[in-house]
Amino acid sequence: MAPIDLQDRAQYLSLALFAQEMVSVLMEYVDENKSENLKSALEDALNSLELGGRVTVSAQRKVAFTSYEQLRTLQEVWSKEERARATQMIQTILRGPQNPVAKPAANNLIDLFSKLQDQALWNFEQPRPVSPGTMQRLCKLA
Amino acid sequence: MQAGLTALLHDAAVLHRFSDFLEEYCKEQERSQRYVDASGDFFKYTEDLAREIKLELRRDIERTSLFPPRIAASRTASLRRKMLTLKDYLRLLHTLIKPAADAHTLSIPAPLINLACDQLRQIEGMGDSRIVVLLTPQLMYFQRPHTHVKQQAALVEKFVPQVLFPKKLGFIELPYSQGPSFFTNLAIYHEIGHFVYEELPSLPSSNASFTALGLARDHALMEFPRLRRDRQVRALAEKILESWTQEIFCDLFALRLVGPAFSFALVEILGMLGSLSSEAMVTFDQEHPAPACRFAEQVRLLRQDSWWDAIAHIEPEQKKLLERLAKTPRAKYKVYAGDERGPEALMRPFLDSIIPAIRNLVRQVTPDAKSVAKRFRETRRVIEDCLEVGVVPHAKTATPLDPVSIINSAFCFYLTKLPKIVTKFEGGAAERNVGTRSKWTGKLEDWTKKAIEDSQIRRQFERTRRDGPL
Repeated sequence: MAPIDLQDRAQYLSLALFAQEMVSVLMEYVDENKSENLKSALEDALNSLELGGRVTVSAQRKVAFTSYEQLRTLQEVWSKEERARATQMIQTILRGPQNPVAKPAANNLIDLFSKLQDQALWNFEQPRPVSPGTMQRLCKLA
Repeated sequence: MQAGLTALLHDAAVLHRFSDFLEEYCKEQERSQRYVDASGDFFKYTEDLAREIKLELRRDIERTSLFPPRIAASRTASLRRKMLTLKDYLRLLHTLIKPAADAHTLSIPAPLINLACDQLRQIEGMGDSRIVVLLTPQLMYFQRPHTHVKQQAALVEKFVPQVLFPKKLGFIELPYSQGPSFFTNLAIYHEIGHFVYEELPSLPSSNASFTALGLARDHALMEFPRLRRDRQVRALAEKILESWTQEIFCDLFALRLVGPAFSFALVEILGMLGSLSSEAMVTFDQEHPAPACRFAEQVRLLRQDSWWDAIAHIEPEQKKLLERLAKTPRAKYKVYAGDERGPEALMRPFLDSIIPAIRNLVRQVTPDAKSVAKRFRETRRVIEDCLEVGVVPHAKTATPLDPVSIINSAFCFYLTKLPKIVTKFEGGAAERNVGTRSKWTGKLEDWTKKAIEDSQIRRQFERTRRDGPL
């Protein structure tokens, strides 16, 4: 790994760790009925999903999905519909962790975050530069 | 045994072996070498983390027996993913451990690093900060910082809460071939700037100015309402502006701490890397503002801090280059992304709104530089007199020489009077001998390092006599 790549690669690893945290917390909830860290982790994820890309630069450090690399990975692996579904499922669990629909929702979320983690780990392994198409769009929109 | 479990055990054994190696390697470095500042803390962190990961692996393997058969395969796959993620984090540390191990006191300019660490700790809110020095195989200064190691460490703490990443730990990187040299290594002040930048949210002195900088960047992006349509593209624009912002911040930060010697070092480095073409000078890339823009900001600050007047007595090529570049009209600036033209529209708000906010922030965070420039003016002659006769610079009075004065006097001497000492000690014919010139550059650097070390020791002695032992 060339040190020059460290920073950009590290963004992918941060995303993989974030997804792992979500999976771990959800697994504890589904398998062991533990919910100590569930609320705060889900709220972080919800904030990240809702604010990502629209957050002000000054508030950026507090949420995931704000860096270019993380947003790119998210868009590679979750469709718009899946993003909306993830948001809904998180809200379902937050509203009533004891509700019978909450654990199936948590299992689905585990699958979604696992998919995200796989892609983040892959991008960490095989990082790609900014695509010319994205750069061209920036030149056009700015 | 189910197929997933076999693969999990294999992955766990690989990670166990990797952790074992890192743990032993870090222990060995602590035992066998001497390091400046915080390298030992970093090795200890890695050692502890590696040990805890091995214990976590055992716990995870035990958990597999509790998975209900219906979901065992998917849960086992999750554990494998977790192991891979932890392994990748260790890989990231792995890229830092060897460069840190190579940077023992015999291979780096320790007096300069110690001085820079002292100056860093004098910044309000940075009193307990520590530095790890890395010797990199890349012939490259001004690499991007290692901020994310800390962000990841915070995430890893959720899985391995027994091991905490040392607080306020920064990394600086030197090319291994330049380890013993002095002048080019002044670039470490720029890297320390990156460390301070990432700590800004917690610095009391930076509150209002840091918020103002954030707002300036937010407003800069608001000038392009069409960016709201595309989250990924907006994130890319943010990333580019953030990179440019950090680079200018770090340059100005370095300049405030070490004066014009930093700009001269930057010219030397760009020359060494072959980046002084007229085209390269006016080109912004995705990570860096154009050197002409960087030097324009540096010259501006040097003038404001009275440094420019203080070095009025010398006219080396490097200074003329700085002046020429600083006068480059901004209409000549270009943005390139690889071989293609880049987002030039971002330049205007960056130059007009963000840079003024960076200037204010740097002033808030760093100590006053005018008094340092004044001290340089007062002691320059004494220092040069010593260097001219091949003696380590030393004070003629009870007050120790100011290290920043030593650095700037020595750099000015190097730029203007090196041939004089070569002729004096080796004879007139040696002036054109490159090897001899290089040898005397090394000697000049050695005297400078020794003078700084002496000055630091003298100050420590004065402090201890005044305040008692720490």
